[in-house]
Order: sequence, then C-alpha cells, then structure tokens
Amino acid sequence: MIELKNIEKYYANKGVKSYILRHVTTSIKQGEFISIMGPSGAGKSTLLNILGMLEEPTYGEYHFMGEDVTAMNERKRIELYRNHIGFVFQAYHLIDEMTVAENIEAPLLYKKIPGAERKSRIADVLDRFNMVAKKDLFPNQLSGGQQQLVGIARALVAQPSIILADEPTGNLQSAQAEQIMDLFKKLNEEEGITILQVTHSEKNAQYGNRILTIEDGVIKEDVSVNN
Amino acid sequence: MFKLNLKIALRNLWKNKGITAINVGGLAIALAAFILVMLYATYETSFDKKLPNYKNIYLVGRIYPDFKTNYTAPPLAKAIKQNFGEVEKVGVTKAAGFEFALSKDAQVFFMKNCLILDYNAAQMFDLKPSGGLTEPHADNRLMYVNNEGMKILFPHKKDNKPEIVAVGGKSSGQTATISGTILTNPQSNLTFDGVAIAKELDTYLDYGYNNYNTYIQVKPGTDIENLTSKITSLYRKELLKGETDQSTINEIKAINVFLDPLKNLHLKPKAGNDANYKVLIAISVLGFLILVIAGINFTNLSIAQATKRAKEVGVKKVMGAFRLQLTTQFLLEIFMQCFVATLLGLILAELVLPKFNSLFMVDLTIWRFENNLFWQLILVLIFITIVAGLYPSLVLSKFNPAAVLKGNFSTTKKSYWLRNGLLVMQFTIAVIFIIGLLTINSQLKYMRTQDIGFNTNQVVNIKNLTYFNTAKDFEPLREKVLKIEGVKSATVASEIPVGAENGSNSYSIEGQEANIEFLDVDFDYFETLNIKVKEGRSFSKTFNADTVNSAILNESAIAKYNLKNPIGKIIRGCNTDYKIVGVIKDFKTQGFQEAVKPTIYAMKNPCGNSKTQILLKIDEQYMTSALAALKSQWPTINKRDGENFRYEFLDELYGKLFKKQEQLQSVFFVAALITIFIAILGLYAFAKYITNGRIKEIAVRKILGANDIQIFKLINTSFFVMVIIANLIAWPLAYILIKKWLATFAYRIDIPMLPFALSAFITICLTVITVSIQAKKAVKSNPVDALKYE
Repeated sequence: MIELKNIEKYYANKGVKSYILRHVTTSIKQGEFISIMGPSGAGKSTLLNILGMLEEPTYGEYHFMGEDVTAMNERKRIELYRNHIGFVFQAYHLIDEMTVAENIEAPLLYKKIPGAERKSRIADVLDRFNMVAKKDLFPNQLSGGQQQLVGIARALVAQPSIILADEPTGNLQSAQAEQIMDLFKKLNEEEGITILQVTHSEKNAQYGNRILTIEDGVIKEDVSVNN
Repeated sequence: MFKLNLKIALRNLWKNKGITAINVGGLAIALAAFILVMLYATYETSFDKKLPNYKNIYLVGRIYPDFKTNYTAPPLAKAIKQNFGEVEKVGVTKAAGFEFALSKDAQVFFMKNCLILDYNAAQMFDLKPSGGLTEPHADNRLMYVNNEGMKILFPHKKDNKPEIVAVGGKSSGQTATISGTILTNPQSNLTFDGVAIAKELDTYLDYGYNNYNTYIQVKPGTDIENLTSKITSLYRKELLKGETDQSTINEIKAINVFLDPLKNLHLKPKAGNDANYKVLIAISVLGFLILVIAGINFTNLSIAQATKRAKEVGVKKVMGAFRLQLTTQFLLEIFMQCFVATLLGLILAELVLPKFNSLFMVDLTIWRFENNLFWQLILVLIFITIVAGLYPSLVLSKFNPAAVLKGNFSTTKKSYWLRNGLLVMQFTIAVIFIIGLLTINSQLKYMRTQDIGFNTNQVVNIKNLTYFNTAKDFEPLREKVLKIEGVKSATVASEIPVGAENGSNSYSIEGQEANIEFLDVDFDYFETLNIKVKEGRSFSKTFNADTVNSAILNESAIAKYNLKNPIGKIIRGCNTDYKIVGVIKDFKTQGFQEAVKPTIYAMKNPCGNSKTQILLKIDEQYMTSALAALKSQWPTINKRDGENFRYEFLDELYGKLFKKQEQLQSVFFVAALITIFIAILGLYAFAKYITNGRIKEIAVRKILGANDIQIFKLINTSFFVMVIIANLIAWPLAYILIKKWLATFAYRIDIPMLPFALSAFITICLTVITVSIQAKKAVKSNPVDALKYE
C-alpha cells in the first residue's frame, strides 16, 4: 500500500544540513497496525507528516497505492485526504464551534455524500462509540478521552483505508488510553483498516503487529509483534 | 455544507461578541457617514437632471477681460433665435429682485423670490403650473404662486379659478391676478416662490439691460464650440452697430460669449461661486476616508482573529477541503458582518438625517423610491466585503496544516508589518482630522472676534419697495422715523453691506483709470454703521454739494490709485466729476474670504442702482418698543409697503456669511470624532490581541523579575512608536491642507502650531489609556496559568 524509498528530510542552514530523516526505506501493507517509536526529536512526527502528505520529503520516493505522491498535484492529494486517509491528533483538534455530530459530519460534507446517507453514517458511528447522548454537546463539554473518541469517529466516518495517529493517547489518562488502543486494535482486526501510530509508550506499541524504531532520523529496528 | 458553515460563523461571532461588536459597529458608523455623503452627492449632482433636454440646455454668459457674468440682455436671445438653426429654443428669465407682499383681505404672503420668465424658458425647464402650461397672450403675464403661498392667501380654495390679490401696501392700490399654483423643485437651477410667465420677455429693451439670463436649447449633437464662437461674433456685431468711438469698439472686440451646460450650473458654473462643489468634494473625500478607516479596522481585526481559526483551517484541510472552499467560507462570514453593518448603517443614517438636512439646508430622504441608493449600497457592500475580507480570507486559507496542527502556532512577522502599517495609516488620518478641526475652529474664532471695520449690532434693515434715489426723497421718512424713541439714525443705500455684490464701473483720477466698485448711499450711512473716517469728513447736510457730486473713497481705492493727498481731488466716472471729501477705513462687507474691494461712495450716481435698503440704528434698550412703533406707524411712513412692515437684523445677516464655514466645521467635527472613535476601537481590539499573544512572554518576564511598570512600558512602547510615526506622517500633510484651506481667506490666521502639538497629545493619551486597559489584564494574571503546559 505504501512504499518509501530512500526518503530524506533536512533543513539547510548556512550551508549546514541538519537531517531530520535519513535513508528511510520501508513498505507498509494493507491491514498492518504499525507503531512508530523513538526518543523525542528522532523524526517520528516528521515521518508521519510525510506519510500523511502534510510535509514533503527533500529527497526520495513515496508511492501511495501505486501512485507517486511527490509528483502529485494539490487536487489529487486532497482527493486522497477525502477518500483514503484519516487523521487522529494528540490534541484531538476538534473544531470548537461545532457540536459532536457536526464535527463527525464535516469530512462527509467534503466528500459530497448526500444528506440521508450522512445522517445514517453519523448515527451508526455515534451508536458504535456509545456517544448518542452526547451528539449535541460541544468539544469543551467533553472529557479528553471522549474528545479523542470523537476525533477517531471523525477519522473513521469517511471510511478511510489508513488512519494516521500522532500520539493519540499522549494527553490521556491510562484508563482512557487503554480504551482508545482497544478501539484501534478492534478496527484493525475487524475492519482491516491500516493503522499507523506514533507513540512513546512501549505498552501502546504492543497493540500493533509491527514496531518501527527511529533514532536520529534513521530506522534502527523494524520488528514484528506477536500477540 | 453552507448551513454548517453558517452555523460555525454565527457561533464564532457570538463567542467573540466584543470584537464582533467593534467590527460591525465601527463599520456601521462609517457606512452611515458614507450613505449620507452618497445621498448628498446624488442630490447635488442631479439638479434639473429629469428635464427632457437636460443635455442640450445651455446658459449664455459673457466674458469681459476682468470678469465673467451670467447676465445678458433680452435682445441677444432674439438674435440667437433668428440666426442659428441649431438652436431649437431660446428662453429668458429674470429675477424680480425685490420682495413684495401679496394680500387678500387679512391674509398676506410675502413673495421673496419671484421669477419672471418667458414661455420658452418655462417649457425648457418643464414648469408645471396648475392646469398645465399654456402660452400667455402677448400683453398678459400669467402669475402663479407656490402651494404654500396659495394656502396662505386662499386657505379654503378648492377650485382652479384665477384670483385677484393686492400687491404691496393696501393703500398703494395695485392688484395682480394669480392664475394658480406652481410646483417648486428644490433640485432646480430655477428657484422661486412664484413665477410670472410672459409670451416674450421685454424684447423692446436694448443691449444695455444686462440683468436677464438667457438659456438656449440646441439640437442634439450640436458643435458647442462652434456655436459659441458664432454667438460671440453675433453679439459683437450687434453691439458694434452704430458705434464710432474707437476705444469702445476695442472694448467690444474683447468681449466673448460662453455657453455653460445645465449640468454644471449648480455646482461649478463658469461665472459664479463653486463653493458648493468644493464642499461636496471635501465631504466626499471625508466619507470615503472614513470608510477606508473602517475597512482597515475590519481587515486588521479579522487577521488578528485568524490564529484562533487556524486549527479549524488545518483540520478542514486534512479532511479534504480545497483552499477555495475555505476562502469562500471566510468571505461569506465577512459578508454577513458587512451586511449587518449596512443595515445598522442605514438605521443610523436615518437617525442623523434630520440633523444633516438642517445643517446643509436640504431635504434628503433614504426611503425614496427613485434614488439609486440601493444598488449603490449593494455595490459598496460587495466592495467592502472584498476589500476588508479578501486579504484575511487568503491569509486564513493559506495556513499550512502541518504547522497549525503541531500546536505552537503564531502568525508571521510579515503580517505584523501590514497590520502596524494599517494602524499607523488610521492614526495618520485621525491626526489630520484633529489638526484640521482645531485650525478651522481658530479661523472661525478669529472671524467672529476680529474687527470687521463696522458695527452690525442694533442695526435693522427694513424691507422696502420705494425708491429713495435722492436725499430729498428720503428726508421725510428719516424725520418721521427719528421721532420714534430709540432710533438713533436712519439712512438708505443701494445695497446692504453683508455679502451683497456692488456694481462696478470705470473711474479716473488725474487721468489714471481703474475699475472700482460703487455704492450709492445717503446721509448718516457711515454713522449708522459706525464706520471710521480716516481723512476728511463724512457726508453732511451742511454741504449742499454732497447731494450732487461729493464722493468718499475707502482705503483700498486710495491704494489702488496710489494717491498721496486725496482730499479735494476730482474723480471722474459715469459722466460726473466727483470731488473727494473723505476717506474711510476699509470695512469687510464680504466677510473674510474676499479682500475689501476699492469702492467709491456717493449720494448721486446716474449709473447706480436704486436706493431701497433702509438701515436704522436703534438703541438696544428701546429695540422692542421702537420696532413696535415702526410697525404701527409704517402705513403712514411708507405707503407702498404699508402694513407689511418687515425687518431683519444686520448682525444676523452678516452671520450668514459664515454659514459655509460653519457647515465645514460641523462636518469636520463629526468626521474627526468618527475617525478617532473607529481608530480607538481598532486599537483596543488590536492591543487585546497583541497582549493575548504575549501572555507567555509576559509571564516569563515576570518570573525573571520584571515589575508591573516595566510590563506596562513593554506593551505600550510599540503602540507609542506607531502613534508618533502617525503624527510625523500626518503633520506635513495637514500643514499642506491647512495652508490650502486658509489661502481661500483674504483675512486669515497664521498657521498655528498648537493644533499639531495638541493632536499629538490627544492621540498619545488615548493610545496609552486604551493599551494600558488591555495591558492591565496581562499584568494582573498569574504567570503559572500562562506557563502551564497545554
């Protein structure tokens, strides 16, 4: 599904290149649940941003579902956002002025899904996440864990093939974090959604089936997890 | 999607109620000002516009080497009609020139401005008398009065029959027939409260009677330049008929004719006053500037709000929104605010309209069906939305999601520059307005307190229809009037000294010729007005020659002829040799805008105008009783006016000369207030934004040991610098503008320095206060809250 070949990212400052990523080459298959780990500043988030097409690599090749991302125009990229990629953020990034239901509805609007189907999909997702009672609340009326649930619901409702999550449990207490990770695992196993998460926690990483460890911009380890 | 965006917009605006109110309120005030200006501009530029031949009507005027005039003689009209086929119609009008009373039984209507015109002119200007415009018989004039006059004279009249009324005093025995009423149009170059329509107007007169206006209506597509030169040669040819004197022939050959199109007549006539045009331009510029300032505010505040929306932009982008969709969303949001502002602006404009109308002496309404205000407003609304909204929408929609979603996001330095620049511009305009207002104030104060050279207090001007051309004519009236207790002196002159234009003629002293003004007076003229005699003496009954050929000159005239010892010298003009018996100090009859003209005062002047303006000096103490006595005795004192005794106080008439400047003062006062208010609103919101953005920095500084005053200084410094810069930019601009304005006065103050210092002081104080209110919050807050990890 994803092919990275010799990806490099650096900032040139007065002729000195400071590397964020070096020689990153890997491939991700449909249905994998991958955790990216590593110390602060290792380049985990940058790698995730490049995978999510939010940043461009300075050098290297990136193929997403067989298409060359680096040569892709803006319109095509936006099409990918709409149809294939769901984002989950550490700080949830719900839109404060929208209710829970509206936040979940937003991506469907951009996908131009008709009203009736939108309603049924939202109802479905709310039901699945046990949030029907909270659908008219605003984000600041929810706890952190609930907000992150909405964040995931929003990413899921557009039925993406991959979810990119940047420290999804970083701001949560351990009980809530466990709930989120269980959800990811379930989505991965039951619906076959590819999941890529950046995490600091060894424990969270164990939920996936593969761990990439990055140090100083280089992939140090690439191991499978058997659970 | 639209519905959802609308919801977000409303929730967002509601969440930032304060800033939204500032944004919308500021814009609404500016739009209200702009609406008024537009109404006024439309009003002033659409005089006579509804006339069917608006584009083809021209006024014929004459140009002499040293002056231009709209007045022509009646034979010219006839000559033009006979000679030029491209001229379809020629109309002649004439102002009656004096006020007279029409009465029926106890009802009296004073006709102040009767217009006499011929049938062609009435057709050209589409006059609408009751019963329709009909051609009068050759020897008959059809007289119509306005509705108001008809209501006064015949309150119960229902039919359309002509009525007979008395003209002047009852004992004078004159009557006239009123054929009906006539509609008056305040937006016409022809103003009147009644008209007399003749088949042809005074065609028997010769070319010497230049107190008529000639209008021509040409065929569409006529070459006006060509026609002008053809009329010029025709006019010269007519004047040259039978002329033998070489110098007169040379003079005639220097005369030109001009054609002034109808659309220019009201605002910028070729001959006459374009003060209205200047005022219109000035307030249009003011209106536009106010709108610009409000627009700037809007842009500034919208950008300031941008960071708050950055997350929304980032999230929407990763959900697959196109940039254009986001731009449209923000533009729509701004459009909504502008729309509300426009509605509020309309309401505000409606509220202040009565004041505006009374200030400019017009009758404007917003809710008139035929005016163009609505589509103009729609255009303005779109314009404002784009100007104020485009940049912020582009900035907002440009945010890079990766940067925004990381969390620690702030706008770049570049937009700081822009915003600071806009803020400086706002304050620059505000400073210019403050300086302008203060300078206008001091010039007006100067005009009110400065010695005008004569005393208008306790001088009463009595309306009069009788000619008192010789001293003997006036003497009986003077005797009777002086018997009334409190009347100190009485005199009569051809004009009152408050803005009226005197005639001018050529006079020579010792062979030196010059064109100077003349005024025909009577005994006690200078005494009544308290004008000081500088040399020689005033007119006196002890000198018989005074009623025949004595003259008094003013200082300006002496200067013009460059005379050393003027008393006793002979000045020749109008076939009369006058002996100069006195020199008076200059007095400002035209207010402060025009320099005092060289003038000759004489009691007898064959070329002069009739003496009708009675002036009485009355002791303050006896003012009421004296006026009451005059009123009751007037039928015996002056038969022609009889019971219609009317008067005006000279000082009030003189005060009217300041009217235009006072209008300007009021407009500037309001404009300065609005700009300062809007600028302060903007500053307030901007300071709030900046302070919020620096809360972390302030917290760190406090932990490092900064005290409150240092923090206040820190926040104030950048604003302080901006205001100083704004002042520095504004000063030279204001200096140039003030200099230009003051140059329109012959008598003026030196450019004062105080307004410059004062405007700096005012703006700095307001800035420091506004910013400090915001800074206080940052200073008071607990640094721990600000530094907590988010």
